[in-house]
Amino acid sequence: MIEFYDVSKSYPNGTAALHGITATIPKGEFAFVVGPSGAGKSTLVRLVYRETLPTSGYVFVNGVNVSKLRPAAVPYLRRNIGVVFQDFKLLPRKTAYENVAFAMRVVGASPKEIARRVPATLELVGLVDKGEAYPAELSGGEQQRAALARAIVNHPLVLLADEPTGNLDPATSWEIVQLLLEINRRGTTVLMATHAKAIVDAARRRVITLDHGRLVRDRQRGDYSQ
Amino acid sequence: MGVRMILGEALVSVRRNALMSLASTTTVAVSLFILAVFLLAAVNVDHMVKTIEGELEVRLYLSAGLDEAALEDLRALVEALEGVTEVIYVSKEEALATLRQQLGPRADLLEGIDEMNPLRDSFRVFTQGPAWIEHVAAAAAGLGGVEDVGYQRELIQRLLPLTSAIHFGGLVLVGLMVIATLFVISNTVRLTILARSEEISIMKLVGATDWFIRWPLLLEGMLLGLLGAAIAAIGAWQAYAWAVNGVYRAVSFIPVVPVLPLAWRLGLLLCGLGAVIGGLGSVLSLRRFLRT
Ligand SMILES: Nc1ncnc2c1ncn2[C@@H]1O[C@H](COP(=O)(O)OP(=O)(O)OP(=O)(O)O)[C@@H](O)[C@H]1O
Ligand SMILES: [Mg+2]
Repeated sequence: MIEFYDVSKSYPNGTAALHGITATIPKGEFAFVVGPSGAGKSTLVRLVYRETLPTSGYVFVNGVNVSKLRPAAVPYLRRNIGVVFQDFKLLPRKTAYENVAFAMRVVGASPKEIARRVPATLELVGLVDKGEAYPAELSGGEQQRAALARAIVNHPLVLLADEPTGNLDPATSWEIVQLLLEINRRGTTVLMATHAKAIVDAARRRVITLDHGRLVRDRQRGDYSQ
Repeated sequence: MGVRMILGEALVSVRRNALMSLASTTTVAVSLFILAVFLLAAVNVDHMVKTIEGELEVRLYLSAGLDEAALEDLRALVEALEGVTEVIYVSKEEALATLRQQLGPRADLLEGIDEMNPLRDSFRVFTQGPAWIEHVAAAAAGLGGVEDVGYQRELIQRLLPLTSAIHFGGLVLVGLMVIATLFVISNTVRLTILARSEEISIMKLVGATDWFIRWPLLLEGMLLGLLGAAIAAIGAWQAYAWAVNGVYRAVSFIPVVPVLPLAWRLGLLLCGLGAVIGGLGSVLSLRRFLRT
């Protein structure tokens, strides 16, 4: 569950990115965040995994006030949040398998547990036979699958996706979104920032629209523009 | 997180960043080698100065006819003077023998002098340093039984400012070299960490604690410093052994510090320095990435 209470964010350089955002994404929901470029979508996502702090207002994740979290507690917050980005952010010198295993080692999982769960997760995202490939040897879609596997391998309660299909062709984009919907069906709360109108319209899920940092529309089973 | 895993991470990361590791290790090795050369030079100059200083002495010429007891009393008095380290009695017969030896082939000049030896019994007085010589000479001159005092006044007056300048200059130079070396090494380590900024941000993204990120990089920095230092130490050792050998052959009267144990002491110092700066450099460079 993610809650925003009257959240505003101004960056140190004076750019006001968000104004008075209040919204709740309940446990197990799938929500899109849409809006023109510069509307504040990425900023909203960053607030959730505490990459940035709100200037005012509060962000709660799974009942924890993220804005009040001690720095030392941030890693533990992030273990409950999976994140995927437009540029995948895989470790270039680790194979797909190692990238996924790495997320488990970080949280102190046992080698046995890792050996069991990494292949299962790679299978879920459809990447079993590419485990030994390095990111440079994978297509964009495959890299995003690997990134997705890494994001979910620790069974996070919340999955954040900031334009996860931004670098992918429509067909591959749709496959990635199908994966996100599948992960959501298994109980993970998903928040996805996107420009992909076709995907938003087809998915018939909740749509939160931002414009110039303000929440201008919030529809259940909505579409991109209306 | 177990020790084996941290070590493993550090080793894997050194291997996978082979080129960067190689460049850094080389930089560390070269800068520590240069530092080692300076240190060896400084140690030897210091040794040389000390040797020359050690040969400076005050000569106390004694009145004729002092008996055994008076001689011992006087020796005790001289030994008690501030700054005195050693007192050696030289009888006039010994003095003559030494003179004869020094004259070598011209010793015939002393022919027939034995009967009426014109030399006097004396004390050779050694001091803690050249700065003490004038003081000891003045104090000893007033003692009963001391007839005359001799020392190389002019040499000492020239040597004193020179040796203190050498000491001071050497200290400043070595200090500057140490600072420069610290700077080069920590900068090198900083570059290797900067090259990892992407990796570090991903580690943070998946929930790695600061220490999970820090340990392998700290170890890597230490490993890098240690490896560079070991190479520098072996290089400096070989170079010094070669130089010492050359000096012995060409100008054997110049006092050089023997290769051992100096070489392994230097090696230990370099390794310690390399490891500490490498590790510290890592941790300090990491500060900007952690604690957000
Ligand atoms: N680190 C930053 N420092 C200063 N200003 C920033 C920073 N990040 C974003 N901004 C500004 O905040 C505003 C919102 O940016 P944000 O990245 O959240 O928009 P977005 O909706 O994700 O845009 P896009 O669709 O292009 O990704 C923009 O005006 C942007 O210039
Ligand atoms: Mg964005």
